Amino acid sequence: MSQYLPIVVLMVLAITFGVLSFAAAKLLAPSRPSTAKSAPYECGIVPTREPPQRFPVSFYIVAMLFIMFDIEIVFLYPYAVDRGALGAYGFWAIFGFSVVFFLTFVYEVARGGLDWGPIVRDRDLTADAAMVSPERTATSTVRRVGTEGRVPENAA
Amino acid sequence: MELLVFVIASGMVLVGAVGVVAMRNPVHSALGLVLTLFGVAVHFVAMEAHFLAAVQVIVYAGAIVVLFLFVIMLLGVDTAEDLSIEPVPIQRPLAVIIGVGTVVLVGTAVIRTRDTIARGPELEASGDSNIRLLARNLFSDQVLAFELTSVLFIVAVAGTVLMTRKQKRVAPDRDRVGS
Amino acid sequence: MNVVALLAADPLLDGELRWTPLLIVVLKVLVIFVLGLVGTMFMVWFERKVVAGMQNRIGPNKAGPFGILQTLADGTKLFFKEIMNPARSDPWVFRLAPFLAFVPAFLVWSVIPLGGDFTEGRDGTVTWFGQVTRVQLADPPVGILLVLAMSSIAVYGIMLAGWASGSKYPLLGSVRASAQMISYEAALGLSLAAVLLSAGTLSTAGIVAGQNSLSNWNLVATGFVPFFVFLVAVTAELNRPPFDLVEAEQELVGGFHTEYSGIPFALFYLAEFMNTITMSAIVVTLFLGGPQPITIGETTLSIGFIPGALEGTLWFVLKLLAFLYAFVWFRATLPRLRYDQLMDLGWKFMIPISLGWFLLLAAIRTGDANQWNPVVVVVSSLVLLGLGYLLFVAALRVSARNREREGAMF
Repeated sequence: MSQYLPIVVLMVLAITFGVLSFAAAKLLAPSRPSTAKSAPYECGIVPTREPPQRFPVSFYIVAMLFIMFDIEIVFLYPYAVDRGALGAYGFWAIFGFSVVFFLTFVYEVARGGLDWGPIVRDRDLTADAAMVSPERTATSTVRRVGTEGRVPENAA
Repeated sequence: MELLVFVIASGMVLVGAVGVVAMRNPVHSALGLVLTLFGVAVHFVAMEAHFLAAVQVIVYAGAIVVLFLFVIMLLGVDTAEDLSIEPVPIQRPLAVIIGVGTVVLVGTAVIRTRDTIARGPELEASGDSNIRLLARNLFSDQVLAFELTSVLFIVAVAGTVLMTRKQKRVAPDRDRVGS
Repeated sequence: MNVVALLAADPLLDGELRWTPLLIVVLKVLVIFVLGLVGTMFMVWFERKVVAGMQNRIGPNKAGPFGILQTLADGTKLFFKEIMNPARSDPWVFRLAPFLAFVPAFLVWSVIPLGGDFTEGRDGTVTWFGQVTRVQLADPPVGILLVLAMSSIAVYGIMLAGWASGSKYPLLGSVRASAQMISYEAALGLSLAAVLLSAGTLSTAGIVAGQNSLSNWNLVATGFVPFFVFLVAVTAELNRPPFDLVEAEQELVGGFHTEYSGIPFALFYLAEFMNTITMSAIVVTLFLGGPQPITIGETTLSIGFIPGALEGTLWFVLKLLAFLYAFVWFRATLPRLRYDQLMDLGWKFMIPISLGWFLLLAAIRTGDANQWNPVVVVVSSLVLLGLGYLLFVAALRVSARNREREGAMF
């Protein structure tokens, strides 16, 4: 246990440093609070909306998956450190474990658990070639784009 | 020295545990839980179970309580919930009964078996002996339990998917242009 | 095996504690503490100066020679700045968060081997005041896991800072940041497992001792992939560019520390730059042999006129500077990622790759030990990895198709 002694000493020193800094700032720094100063920072605009109360569920899924990975990692470490003594049996044990783990992860991915952001659509550019051309028109330097995606195709 | 560490660690555990129950704000309760888990980690170190102490901090404090905090933030319960309204009326008396029952059970178990609890073999104080012994145990005698742990993953992921990714019935989508 | 077991402890603290060892411990703690602060000051100056150079500016040049005292001036100034308490903040947690950020940053220093005597095959111990010890603060049995534990505590600092501010941008920044940090912590942990596989010990001193020649450096011994995964994961874990979405100014003002001012802000800043140094040091320790000199085959590149004990420190600092420069270089060069790109890179690329690579390494090593046919081992491993890859791609396809059908949920 004495191996941890220096770490504890360092921790105490670090905390003392923080507390002393706070105390010094209390003595040295001015304290003139005002309503405007202590209002939530909104780049100078008066806050009109509350801070968000709810977050996308994706964050929860990430945290859940992280627990799984943490557990997997925690099991990998004993194997990694003692691989020499565990031999082939240990390898097959960790292999089987990891395969099940990986399949679970794949299932989660397939069900869209890790999808973020907008849908990425790959557009077939050859089909749009008539409408969208990289060449500039004679009258403007702006690239010509079609109306595709804006007006219904069968509207006309 | 050992006594001092024990007292400090137990103090952390108890203060944290009381904090979890007594705090009004769920985030403060979660912080109390972190304190408790740290106290347990210190106990592990005092008992020369170094690897378990590290796991305690990495998995419990680093992952599980983070998940709790996410859920607290996710649902916005930290500001919205009124603790005086009980969704399930029976849960408070039930919690008291279970709590007292657990204390009595563990207490009697400790008192009755105090003489028979054998002291484990003294571990070497230093080095990787700790993690090596654990590895040999895990990958020989306990290998079935170890493999079954992976089944827990399936349960966890299936639960997550069921709760969060309900298959939406695809309604005829009038907003989509051109279809 | 016995040697490694012996290595995994600081001989200074074995057995009964006496006054001389205690004095050395106190001395070491003070040196590390001062080194940490001075190193952080230097790092801030270094980053500003190098980025300025890369952008054709001069950078800090007024305070002291080459502006090297600029950070000291800035830090002193912050002592005289008002500590603001936002009206809607949670006072206790608001004060606690900076501590949760910078105390772990300090503690990581304690397991980094900062030097040692490795000349002529010595094992890195030095003798001070008649006591044999290592040039590192402590060598606890958890070793490198202390770093992981500390980085999981550091998540709380950021998360609680944002939550306790009671303001929009800090909250958004901190939720993003903590999801990012835990994602990349998984990649970090998996690539660390590959290092442990080749080192066979948790102790940082043991990991360094095993890398006694260039081909034994874990960079080579683990086949480069874990190194790159680790480096990228570390950059993301540090919230440094190109992964600094936490403080994406255009969207989130200053991120989780928007509402902080004066000394609490200084502590966050300190933690950020100190983490840059310590994590670079961890990369050096894990993959580049730490304070070991460069040995190719039989020849050791030795710096002759420097005493053996100092040489280790010199090598360590040289390797460290290379990584510090690389981090600054990243910042000056790479544009910031979008959040979904960040998450995809972490979860859909780095994590599967490091898991697969770990299993490949384990298979090869086990095959070596059991005289399996190496060709069969490699071919069957590659086939399995290929299958896994195909499965994963199929999963991505399915998920993309479902999203297309249902419309994006967010």
